[in-house]
Amino acid sequence: MGKITATINGTEAHVDEGTTILEAARTVGIEIPTLCHSPDLIPTGNCRVCVVEVEGTRTLVGSCHTPIANGMVIHTRSPRVLTARKATVELLMAGHTGECVTDEHTSECDLRKLADELEGGAPRFLMRKPRWYPIEAFNPYVRRDMSQCVLCRKCISACREIAKKNVYGIAYRGFAAKVIVDFDDPLTTEICRDCGICIDYCPTGALSKPTKKSEVK
Amino acid sequence: MPEKRILLKNCGRIDPKNIDTYLAQDGFKAWQKTQKEMTPDAVVAEIKASELRGRGGAGFPCGLKWELAAREESDEKFLICNADEGEVGAFKDRYLLQNDPFTLIEGIAIAAYAIGAGKCCIYLRAEYHYLLDGLKNAIAQAREKGLLDGLDIDIHEGAGAYICGEESALMDSIEGKRGEARYRPPFPPSKGLWGKPTIINNVETLSTIPHIVLNGAQWFHEIGTEKSTGTKLFSVSGDVAKPGVYELVLGSSLKELVVDICGADNIKMVQIGGATGGIVPYSMISTPLAYETVLGSGAVTVFNESRQVIDFVYRTMDFLAAESCGKCTPCREGTEAMIEILGRLATGDGRQEDIQALEDLSGTMMLSSLCGLGQAASIPVLDTLKYFRNEYETRIQQSLFLRSLRGRI
Repeated sequence: MGKITATINGTEAHVDEGTTILEAARTVGIEIPTLCHSPDLIPTGNCRVCVVEVEGTRTLVGSCHTPIANGMVIHTRSPRVLTARKATVELLMAGHTGECVTDEHTSECDLRKLADELEGGAPRFLMRKPRWYPIEAFNPYVRRDMSQCVLCRKCISACREIAKKNVYGIAYRGFAAKVIVDFDDPLTTEICRDCGICIDYCPTGALSKPTKKSEVK
Repeated sequence: MPEKRILLKNCGRIDPKNIDTYLAQDGFKAWQKTQKEMTPDAVVAEIKASELRGRGGAGFPCGLKWELAAREESDEKFLICNADEGEVGAFKDRYLLQNDPFTLIEGIAIAAYAIGAGKCCIYLRAEYHYLLDGLKNAIAQAREKGLLDGLDIDIHEGAGAYICGEESALMDSIEGKRGEARYRPPFPPSKGLWGKPTIINNVETLSTIPHIVLNGAQWFHEIGTEKSTGTKLFSVSGDVAKPGVYELVLGSSLKELVVDICGADNIKMVQIGGATGGIVPYSMISTPLAYETVLGSGAVTVFNESRQVIDFVYRTMDFLAAESCGKCTPCREGTEAMIEILGRLATGDGRQEDIQALEDLSGTMMLSSLCGLGQAASIPVLDTLKYFRNEYETRIQQSLFLRSLRGRI
């Protein structure tokens, strides 16, 4: 028995203080979809896919970073939550250049899986110009296709917290925001070693292992 | 209710370069009273009793915020004065900084004493660089008079980002990071700058403090309405004869401000609170200005009948999209998707489903964005859809007609 009791979708959860809503929901077998969250990394709370409704709050709250409090009444699948979550995923789908049909990494794309789960269909929204960046394959370890990036920032956290290298950063504002290396320089062998940790954390095909030798310039 | 000069009392009457003129106007009396007669808890209780609400836009009760920070146990606490007045059409803080910096410094001293902060920081927006010397001079003069003993006041200049007026992004900026909203909880009063308890107050809020301390909470509480006490500065701009900064008792009607005082006519709508502020159409011009209705930061922009609603919303959204920090999805992608729709509407290429899409997007952004920018970005869209829906519908009909002429629907 933990110190905190809260109600999630009508089920009572007893957890320790400091547990996030997401973790608490998992203890009672309720799965909340996530994108930018990973149990190994410090939550950044930027994708807003894991939002849930807490009774008494004006807006929805991110479940991966909000600590659960005593007496909270949480709904993870209320109409408000589902509408917002679906629209968020649709926006992410609309924002990046899709080669989802032809790309060989499509089956591994978490965003695509999320969209399928939420039965989003084709996105309702369009962007003025979806992101398009040339593929960067300047080293034999990581191939970066930033057109597929959904800015979940897991690679930044993984590089900083697990690999302790701090190779990646973020630059530019608003829709133009981009995960960059140094001053938006190519990722060369001089900067990056071959740990490949970021690739494991990338939810889409933005970071991958170069398959063909000829692709490495 | 008439104009009432409390905050503007000294503006124009003192020399902002000379502390003696301020001292002659009862300057620093409140600070002396605080030091001699009041405990920190008593100051917090006094501000709490006055029911002063934050003047930056959110309207959070100031006393409550201070109480939260004062209760925290920490070796170090910070006070930040938010002088990053980035809101479109807001220039009230500039007026105070320019004409009466001493009241602000006195307010900072009292606030720091109340919460037990040893270090204060004024976050000055980049565009106000020309006020830096005046402010530094004012602090130096106060220090020379021995009024700021044991208190560190730094001035940190911003770099020109709108988002850095948002409290968590502001703290990131001071810490030397990229200015981006943080998720809450933890809230700044428990874990703010460098992970320490931090209070962030607007220039106007802090400038109100000395008046409350000197005249008592009861005096302040009697001014204004039940839930919005005191006076408020309004910076009026747009299609008016006499734009400028005016101080009104809260609860005064919008008509009094824009028509009677500023001399606007042929009004179509008024935006209150800056780029993300609510829209009031002319039919509702007698709306009282208070936290209960519509207020925000006190920026009042008047639009006359010659202005096009859709062009205005498009411009506003263009600004917000450019100023979004790019952290959370609903704001980063949502503003861009809105621009796509509004841009098409503005150039006469609207579609039937556009209104529905705008409403859906607005709902999502409002519910799941990380900070105030994303949550409030859709307010101008929703408000104009509410009051000027016919303009959207007409534009869509025109677009359909134009396309039919070109032979495609």
